[in-house]
Amino acid sequence: MRHYLSNIYLGVYTALVGMRITFKQLLQPSVTHQYPYDRSFEQKKNIREIPKGYRGKLHNRIEDCIGCKKCEMICPVDCITIATQKLPKGERLWDSMNVVHLKDRTEIVGNIEGAEKPAPNTAVTIQTRDNRTVAVASEEIANVVERKPVIFYLDQFDIDMSLCMYCGLCTEVCPTECLIMFDNLSDGIEYSTFDRTDLIYEFAKPEMYEQPTDESTEAEAAD
Amino acid sequence: MAAPQPESKFIELKPFSDEMIVSMGPQHPSTHGVLRLELKLDGEIVRDAIPHIGYLHRCFEKHSENLNYQQIIPFTDRMDYIAAMNMNWGFCLAVEELLATDEKKFSGVPERGEYLRVLIGELNRIGSHLLSFGTYGMDLGAFTPFLYAFRDREKILLLFEKICGARLTYNYIRVGGVSRDTPPGFIDEVKEFIDYFEPQIDKYNALLTANRIFIERTAKVAVMDTEMAINYGVTGPNLRGAGLQWDLRRDEPYSIYDRFDFDVPVGKDIPELGVVAGDCWNRYKVRMDEMKQSIQIIRQILESGLPNGPIQAEMKAVRPPKGEIFSRSEAPRGELGFYIVSDGTPKPVRLKAKSPCFTALSALQELSRGLMVADIIAIIGSIDIVMGEVDR
Ligand code: SF4
Ligand code: SF4
Repeated sequence: MRHYLSNIYLGVYTALVGMRITFKQLLQPSVTHQYPYDRSFEQKKNIREIPKGYRGKLHNRIEDCIGCKKCEMICPVDCITIATQKLPKGERLWDSMNVVHLKDRTEIVGNIEGAEKPAPNTAVTIQTRDNRTVAVASEEIANVVERKPVIFYLDQFDIDMSLCMYCGLCTEVCPTECLIMFDNLSDGIEYSTFDRTDLIYEFAKPEMYEQPTDESTEAEAAD
Repeated sequence: MAAPQPESKFIELKPFSDEMIVSMGPQHPSTHGVLRLELKLDGEIVRDAIPHIGYLHRCFEKHSENLNYQQIIPFTDRMDYIAAMNMNWGFCLAVEELLATDEKKFSGVPERGEYLRVLIGELNRIGSHLLSFGTYGMDLGAFTPFLYAFRDREKILLLFEKICGARLTYNYIRVGGVSRDTPPGFIDEVKEFIDYFEPQIDKYNALLTANRIFIERTAKVAVMDTEMAINYGVTGPNLRGAGLQWDLRRDEPYSIYDRFDFDVPVGKDIPELGVVAGDCWNRYKVRMDEMKQSIQIIRQILESGLPNGPIQAEMKAVRPPKGEIFSRSEAPRGELGFYIVSDGTPKPVRLKAKSPCFTALSALQELSRGLMVADIIAIIGSIDIVMGEVDR
């Protein structure tokens, strides 16, 4: 009987101890966001910021893709499909662009004028694709992805994002770093659709080759 | 002593008895994944409980035979998705041990990589135990701890998101190191989190651990003594809750765990609370204490500072030599083992994962005999299984 009563007392007492903690919590600001409706966190960056390097939706800057199929080979779920045609030997379409990684973890896509490996203590001029010129000091540069010749026509470059598991292996192996994952909210995360087929992204742009040649040989599937 | 297992896989009912068979699951909210329990009930008393698993089976082991070692790592994320870093780590350790049998191929993980692995692994252990604490409270009817635990786990997930780019399926630890270096300010944020979180554990203890109602529900329920735990092969917090001080991190140190100073909490008889070693309460309490030890390890890392240098060993392709290896590591839910047979190609010939949750679940049948239906929930929460790892 005594045990029974003391148990009741302890039950109430320890519950009150817990209540004190919850009560203190009650007076603190809420940490919950009603996400799709309440978007105020986008302004208040400090609360919920998508960090740099987040693995979101995939994107390919197709002009820089050299068609090496490394991403297709590494993908564990085979959601990348690439079809290429090789150019005649010795020919190339253009070079892929440099990707200049700065030390503050931003990157600039564009061609470095002059030497690709800038000498120390020089100003480096970078010509971006939309014809802007960006000047940075060579001390700010962390590393530069070199230009690579494009020797394949890309007939097909599809990524099925409904299969993708966001492992990021494909972006790591890409030699020109043209395959990227968006790390912002609107491009990287909020892309749900009503139809699953809308999630197959077709990146190949045949119109970027003005005169496609039919004589070119079919590239061997590097598998 | 382990009781003899019944012959049949399914429960047979005697005709004209008072017993009945109830199927609990496959989607019970408290069963931490998709698990079906076949219960033989005599009124409220559980006479027998057979777990039926396989609802989350994804053929991880067979699938791995068609993937190269690098590609398998994202699939290990999906085994124990609560502690995916530790799953990555366990697999990479096995591959590294296999690689190390041929000295030309692998010369060890760089220092910074090892420190980052321990830092991340212990953070993930805290996150995993937090989830187990929160859901255990919710299973037993206390909703508030669940919200608190998820709020704090969110902070850990944010740290992981910063360092590896994903919240749950990290794919961070790679063969030979880790995939990314720390972003600027990361170490300060870890320190901030640790400083915030350490007093939080005491709050949780006051909120749930010491709550008399909670103790009444968990004390002396489903006592698993050391002998039974060893007979079933149960490891991790469940074994330590039974009172055996066995932790691979201390007893067979892998990585750089031998450099850190930490205790291995074990379950104890506490007469004032009425709990005995190996009951649900002790299994739960070991997890709460382990969070403190993980914080201590992280503090030691932060004090000594991460060494500078590379994070990833230089190697061309992961192509282990011919041979086989069984390697184990201490994941939050117990000893995670990987058995790999290699024939010298970039793909394993056979891969087997030894899952700690599977062995813990196998003890459920014996633990639950003779208890009430409501105690089943308390047992499942206390052995802390993740069905993704049981089924693989
Ligand atoms: S991120 Fe997606 S597309 Fe890229 S390798 Fe992983 S699963 Fe494949
Ligand atoms: S790895 Fe990069 S360059 Fe190569 S095919 Fe894929 S996207 Fe193109």
